[in-house]
Amino acid sequence: MKTRTHWLLGAALACSSLLLAGTAAAQVTLEVMNPRGEIPPPPTIGINPRVPTLAGKKIVLVDNGKFGADNFLNVIAQILKQKYPSATIVMYPKPSAQTITDMPKWYPTVKQQGDLFIFGVGD
Amino acid sequence: MPGVYFTTTEFLDDAESAAKDRGMPGIRMIALPADTYYRSRSTQQELQPIAAAAFDQMVDDLVRPLTAEEAKPSQIQKQHENTNIQVTGKDYQDAYQNVNDLFLDSRWADGLPIVPPTPALVKAMLAATTRSPDEVVGQVAPKNGTATVEKIAVNSVMAGAKPEYFPVILAAMDGFVDKHFDLTHVQASTGSFTPVVIVNGPLAKELDFNSGIGMLGHGWRANSTVGRALRLSLLNIGQTWPAVNDMALTGRFEAYTFFTFAEDEAKSPWEPYHVSLGYKPEDSTVTVATSGTPLVLGGGAVAPWTAQGILDTVVARTSNVVFGWVHSQTYILVLHPDCAYELGKLGYTRKSLQAWLYEHTSIPYEKLLAATSGFGHASEIDEINQSIADGRIRPDRAQIFKDALKPGGKVPIVQSPDDFHIVVAGGSPGYTLLFSYPGPNWAHETKKITGATLTKAGH
Repeated sequence: MKTRTHWLLGAALACSSLLLAGTAAAQVTLEVMNPRGEIPPPPTIGINPRVPTLAGKKIVLVDNGKFGADNFLNVIAQILKQKYPSATIVMYPKPSAQTITDMPKWYPTVKQQGDLFIFGVGD
Repeated sequence: MPGVYFTTTEFLDDAESAAKDRGMPGIRMIALPADTYYRSRSTQQELQPIAAAAFDQMVDDLVRPLTAEEAKPSQIQKQHENTNIQVTGKDYQDAYQNVNDLFLDSRWADGLPIVPPTPALVKAMLAATTRSPDEVVGQVAPKNGTATVEKIAVNSVMAGAKPEYFPVILAAMDGFVDKHFDLTHVQASTGSFTPVVIVNGPLAKELDFNSGIGMLGHGWRANSTVGRALRLSLLNIGQTWPAVNDMALTGRFEAYTFFTFAEDEAKSPWEPYHVSLGYKPEDSTVTVATSGTPLVLGGGAVAPWTAQGILDTVVARTSNVVFGWVHSQTYILVLHPDCAYELGKLGYTRKSLQAWLYEHTSIPYEKLLAATSGFGHASEIDEINQSIADGRIRPDRAQIFKDALKPGGKVPIVQSPDDFHIVVAGGSPGYTLLFSYPGPNWAHETKKITGATLTKAGH
């Protein structure tokens, strides 16, 4: 009986090794192609140096035309006037309701309005 | 000029992504809490605590000296997307599942299982066109991913498209990446627009596109998989993802397959739509456009309707000034065959119908004068004058608008009668639909299908 048990155990171990080897050999590999577009990275540009203080500066508030942006920037303007009375506030809304249109000719005009700008509210 | 950019927490990822796409990763941004900002923005009083809470950070962002990285950001490294991917499994079924898990978890799919794009399947797709796999079709917004013929083929395989459909898909992509098509707005806008894809010519019939009952529904492989191939191509090549840089607030109403259908040319009383644009009857074309939710104007199997009643409904639903004139670029009127037949019987040609719509949807100047723009600070009149000034109203149409902006004038809602695009499709009985695009720029292109190798048409 003992001999028979050993033989069965040995046979079982041998079989399981074969199965494992068989599993490894049966591994399936699927080669697939990448669906994503390559993106040519744009040249990077740094942001402009900051100002030491807002006092005495001409601050341009740019309303992007989205609902509520004018309200928000008006509140910002009120707080600026309280905290920086020597600053000048310029409200400079986008000229049209075209909130998403690329306006390459218009954006550069912002910098002609003052020393720094606050833009909002992006969504 | 130093500056600071206000956005909200819901849009911060989108804003950062856009800044990086344009090579300015260092832009200083302040994210207002979306859950309180949007419900408070109607009044300055309600916004006061939100602005006050953000104020100190705003000042700090304007005065804090730049870091070296902000002053001179590192060059963004190109991500190489051309290496094939090996996916293993204990058997084919397991590997197939693992490919799907990889693509879905990596956001390379639309949320539904895909067909694994093996090189053999992609090669079979490419064999359906004479166009070179390396041909650059164009750049796909918003990230300007490069759409090659091969990349579109990979996405077409994933969608389950037959190779025979591939020339249609390529022509549609030609339209989406056309320089006149505002794909950025379509792909990214909160407005939740859905592309419209209309196939014309003999290839539509040969490929069995549905143009009858259920033409916008499921069940037709051509409609469904051509639309899905375009969905996946725009998603993967333009690299968009909902709530990251695709900000469609509700999602799109035909998100997986777009509004993809064919004109029922045989049931139209007029020449096929593409012929009206100058193509030959034997040409096959695909038109890509975009739309909000289509309006159902009348028809159906139960309620009575008349063709004139449907036209009157078009007028009633379009000639309002709630949203501003400049937000009506194009309309696509999809007449169901019975309605088109009735209009033909009344003597309308496509041209005369376009002229009728142009005239009757025009808005009295006095009505515009009384209206404020849907976007706050500009009046409707200001909007139109601005559109003339910046060239969005074409110079050859500008005088028409200048003349209309006077007492007694009638201001058109589109730039020209041709901006009412009229096609015939749907069941008999059916419904007449109106697709409209209230976007800031043009998004409507028709392209000829060429280079087909597996079909009789489309060569």
